[in-house]
Amino acid sequence: MIALQHISKWYNIGGKPNFVLKDINLNIQEGEFLSIMGPSGSGKSTLLNIIGMLDLPNEGRYDFFGQSVYDMKEKHRQDLYKKNIGFIFQAYHLIDELNVYENIETPLLYQNVKSSERKAMVGDMLDRFNIVGKKDLFPSQLSGGQQQLVGIARALIAKPRLLLADEPTGNLNSKQGEEIMQLFKQLNEEEGITIIQVTHSEKNAEYGSRKIDLLDGRIQQHIKENISL
Amino acid sequence: MFFHNLKIAFRNLAKQKVLSFINISGLSIGLGCFVLFLLFAVHEFTYDRFHQNAANIYRVAEWIQTPERQGGDAFGGTPLGPAIKADFSDVKAYARIQAGFDDKFVRVNNDVTRSKISFADPQLFKMFSFKTIAGDAFTALNDKQTVVLTKEKAIQLFGRTDVVGSRVDIKMGEQYEPFVVGAVTEDIPSNSSIRYSILGSYAYLMASDMGRQSDGNWHMTIGSETYLLLDSKSNLAQDAGRLAQFRRSHMPGEEEELKKMGVWDGKGPFPVRFLLQPLKDVHTNPAIGGPSDTIDPKIIWILIAIASAILIIACINFTTIAIGRSSARAKEVGIKKVTGSRRGQLIGQFLTESILLSVFAVILGCVLAMLLLPFFNQLAGRELHFSFSQFPQLLWLLLALTLLTGLFAGIYPAFVLSSFRPIEAIKNKIRLGGSNLFTKSLVSFQFVLSIVLIISTLVLLQQLKFLRTQNIGFQKENVLVVDADGTDAKKIYPLFRQMVLSNTAFAGISASEMGMGEGKGLMGTGFQYEGETKGVIMYPVDAGFLKTMKMQLLAGRDFNPELTTDTVDAIIANEALLKDFGLTLSTAVGAELKERRFGDQLISRRIIGVVRNFNYASLKQEVRPQMFFQPPQLQPTKFYIRLRSGDPSTALAFLQAAWKKLAPEFPLRYSFLDEDMNRFYVFEERWSRVAGWAGGICIFLACLGLFGLAALTAVNRTKEIGIRKVLGASVSSIVTLLSKDFLKLVLIAFVIASPLAWLLMHKFLQEYAYRISIGWWVFILTGVVALLVAFVTIGSQALKSAVANPAKNLRTE
Repeated sequence: MIALQHISKWYNIGGKPNFVLKDINLNIQEGEFLSIMGPSGSGKSTLLNIIGMLDLPNEGRYDFFGQSVYDMKEKHRQDLYKKNIGFIFQAYHLIDELNVYENIETPLLYQNVKSSERKAMVGDMLDRFNIVGKKDLFPSQLSGGQQQLVGIARALIAKPRLLLADEPTGNLNSKQGEEIMQLFKQLNEEEGITIIQVTHSEKNAEYGSRKIDLLDGRIQQHIKENISL
Repeated sequence: MFFHNLKIAFRNLAKQKVLSFINISGLSIGLGCFVLFLLFAVHEFTYDRFHQNAANIYRVAEWIQTPERQGGDAFGGTPLGPAIKADFSDVKAYARIQAGFDDKFVRVNNDVTRSKISFADPQLFKMFSFKTIAGDAFTALNDKQTVVLTKEKAIQLFGRTDVVGSRVDIKMGEQYEPFVVGAVTEDIPSNSSIRYSILGSYAYLMASDMGRQSDGNWHMTIGSETYLLLDSKSNLAQDAGRLAQFRRSHMPGEEEELKKMGVWDGKGPFPVRFLLQPLKDVHTNPAIGGPSDTIDPKIIWILIAIASAILIIACINFTTIAIGRSSARAKEVGIKKVTGSRRGQLIGQFLTESILLSVFAVILGCVLAMLLLPFFNQLAGRELHFSFSQFPQLLWLLLALTLLTGLFAGIYPAFVLSSFRPIEAIKNKIRLGGSNLFTKSLVSFQFVLSIVLIISTLVLLQQLKFLRTQNIGFQKENVLVVDADGTDAKKIYPLFRQMVLSNTAFAGISASEMGMGEGKGLMGTGFQYEGETKGVIMYPVDAGFLKTMKMQLLAGRDFNPELTTDTVDAIIANEALLKDFGLTLSTAVGAELKERRFGDQLISRRIIGVVRNFNYASLKQEVRPQMFFQPPQLQPTKFYIRLRSGDPSTALAFLQAAWKKLAPEFPLRYSFLDEDMNRFYVFEERWSRVAGWAGGICIFLACLGLFGLAALTAVNRTKEIGIRKVLGASVSSIVTLLSKDFLKLVLIAFVIASPLAWLLMHKFLQEYAYRISIGWWVFILTGVVALLVAFVTIGSQALKSAVANPAKNLRTE
């Protein structure tokens, strides 16, 4: 599904390149649940953003379902992104001015889904996460866990094949966090959605089918060996 | 998607109450002003266009082009219309109209009022689209003794409009003559050059003494205009050759005459010609004089420019505040991009927002404009109405205005906000504050406009005061002017004079044949001295005139009522006349001038006295050579009465009583000379008020925007302020820190605006023969005021954040 080759990203500070990612090579199969681990500043989020096409590397090649992402036209890449990728953030990032229903609906607006269809899809999603009663509330009226549920519902509404989560439980208490991780596992196992999460927590990483460790912008050697197995 | 955007827009407006208020109120005020000026401009530019034949109607004017003078005059002779219709097959119809000049007495059922009477050919109602509501106006004007009334006049005279066949007596000359109302027409639209309230038949005019005299006389005008309806395919208006030929055939001796007078050397283009002026051009071409007001289109555009300046300032407020708030919107932009929004969609969203705001503001602005309309009418000297039926074009102009305002105010923020990179936006890394160069330039620009307008206002006011307080050669204060035109003034005056002089409340009384100080026209002719001919303005007055007006004699003597010879050839000249003829105070008295009369007749005049230069006209022009003379049979039309200073009410009551005794059938009409003369400066007064209001509104709006920006800066810099306070910064140092940057912008604006304003006003003042020099203090004053107002605005916000508890601020970060 995803093939990264020689991906590097750096910033020039005082004329010298300061590497955030250095020569990353990574293959991810469809249906995997991958956890990216590593200390602060190791480049986890940058890697996730590159996979999510929100950021560009300075060097390297990225194939998504066999298509070279960086050789595509901007519009084509946007379409690919809209159809296939859902994003979940640590700080939920709901739009404050929109209520739960409208927040979940937003991605559909950008895919020109018809109004009646949108209604049905959002309704299903509300049902599924048991938040029908909260559909008219605004983000500020929800607890963190509830907000993250909305965030996940929003990420799933367009039926993506790849879910990217940047420390999804980072702002939640352990019970809420566990629930979210259970949900991820279920999504991965029952619906076959590929999930890549960035996490600090060993425990959360255990939910996944594979994990990689980043340090100073490189994938650690011993884990890389594991991958090749 | 559109509704989704609207929803977000509404919720944002509701969430940011203060900023929304600043945005909407500012834009509403700006738009309100703009709508008023727009209405004015539409009104002026649509003059006379409501006539169905407007495109094919022309007014015949005479254009004079000599090295000294160029200009046109729409008052033609009475034979002109019939002749031009007879000579050219493409002239389908003509109509002559004499607009009413002076008020005549009108009697209906023994009630006497005064009204202007106009006269026109019946064709007027075939050519023009004046609507008749009773009777038939065309056939009515075929009858000599019939009049057409407007609805308003009919109601004023009779209290109703179904008055066809009723009798109206009008005092023509010495006695009342009976007229019958033949038709009543709808009131004349405010944007019409042709105006009447009582319209008589041109045939009546032609049967009068004056009319008979003018019949067949191409050199005489009785002050009537000639309108032509041309065939739509006619090229007569562009064909100078045919018009020249026409002129030659009807005024055959003209070329010789002008050669003899030395006006034309026989070569070069002929200096006088007929010109067909399109009806649509009548109101907006001041170069051709006629009975109706004209306006220089330049003035309309300047007004539109001022209104645009106000609107731009309001739009800039929206822009700068939107940029200042960008950090608050950044997260939304980021999320939308992550959820798949393209940049174009985001730009669309932000523009929807600004256009929505502009819709609100236009609605509010229109309400505001309607509320302010009476006040604006007073300011502009018009009677405008918000009427979509009179001005259908207002509708799409307003729509365009709404869209343009929304786009103009929102386009920059839309592009900036939508350009944010999603990751940075989400992580709150974007901080534009109010501090990017573009926003700064915009704020400065607002103050440049405000300061220019305020300096201009101050200079205008100064010039106005200067004009009013200039020594004009006589004392205009405490002089009451009685308008005796149309009464038996010649009989009344001697008796009235006796009564006035018997009362100690009055210091003097005098009379004149010509009005002074109301700009209604002058008499004058050429005078010859030592072979040189110059134009001189003449005032026929009675003996006590100089004394009553308190004019200063510099040489010679005043008229002596005892000397009959003084009514024969004596004149009193002003200094300008002396200068023109090369005379001095010592040589002038006793000098003999020759006055030119019709037919090369020369009459001897002797200077018996010289007065200080005086000016009855606007001080825009230089004082012209003028003289007084005493006609043997004075036909007074104005009485000038000097009151002793103090409360004029008892003196007025006395005059009322005296007049009632002498002329019970006429109401007493009077005015004060100083007020009459102030009317010369209506233009200046109007402009200084327009500029003053505009300047005030500009600086208010600019400060409103500054207030919003200061509030945003304080919010954006909360953390910094907190840290500084923890480190020991004083309140005053923080206020300085926050205010400094903004005040710098105002200062820069002042530096840019001052020379601009100076140039502008310097150019403006060139139009005045008597003018002030622009003082440096005007600039200093404006600069200080602008800085002060700005400082108070910003300082209040800065102080608020400076005294806040830093611990609390830092915790929230």
